[in-house]
Amino acid sequence: MSAAITASSILIVDSDIISRHAIADYLRHCGYVVVEAVNTDEALLALNEPSLSVDVILCDMAAIGTRSGFELATWVRQNRPELEVRLAGSSDNAADKAAELCENGPHLARPYEPQSVVDYIKRLRGNRERAKIA
Amino acid sequence: MERSSVRWQGEKESVPDQAYILVVEDELFVRMFISDALRDAGYRVLEAFNGDEAVEILHSGAHVDLVLSDVRMPGAIDGMGLLAFIKENYPALPVVISSGHLNPTLALASGAIRFLSKPYQVDEALDLIKSELDKVG
Repeated sequence: MSAAITASSILIVDSDIISRHAIADYLRHCGYVVVEAVNTDEALLALNEPSLSVDVILCDMAAIGTRSGFELATWVRQNRPELEVRLAGSSDNAADKAAELCENGPHLARPYEPQSVVDYIKRLRGNRERAKIA
Repeated sequence: MERSSVRWQGEKESVPDQAYILVVEDELFVRMFISDALRDAGYRVLEAFNGDEAVEILHSGAHVDLVLSDVRMPGAIDGMGLLAFIKENYPALPVVISSGHLNPTLALASGAIRFLSKPYQVDEALDLIKSELDKVG
């Protein structure tokens, strides 16, 4: 990971509500202010809002929208180079990156367990799939 | 860093004193504004972009005590469709419908417990939600 993060607000870009909610809830519990964007278009709306402070972007590579997750990261590096972008390719990967932020950023309670976030996501997804079948 | 015990509280059973509100709203800043106000008031908030996401999170078994939903949203089902889905599948789950154009009578006749007319003041929304949650204990 990069040098110590001093972020206090994180923009999560994830089109899967289960992953987004679990990671956002986890980061809020760590003490961050979290903005949830359902797609890259909402992410750009948030980034272009002057009153909204964002320090780090945690973006799912599979996020939908006019731009892909990769394209959003490229846009940020070109237009907002002061922001740190972390691309996540899976729930496990996203939880690990969230755990890194928790380790280096604000703390409300410790210790943290990123695996519990992954387990939570898996359980909710399993329930959702069973509900679809039923 | 010590990680032997889990303190993350992502599940209802670990925070029994906090009510969970599902906010369903496609306008980013409206969703953020009301969600942050609810969090500041002590609630746990799940944010859904539209009715489809709300159905997904309900199907997942995530705990929800009350739903606050907009009406006009993109996706397969709008707010009234979500209300019908909840009445059929989760009849005990209270739903507050919020809209700037819908006739409140229609929402209430369809099973919404309350109607919140847009644009609303945040205190008005908080008072309404608190009073409804107090009723269900």
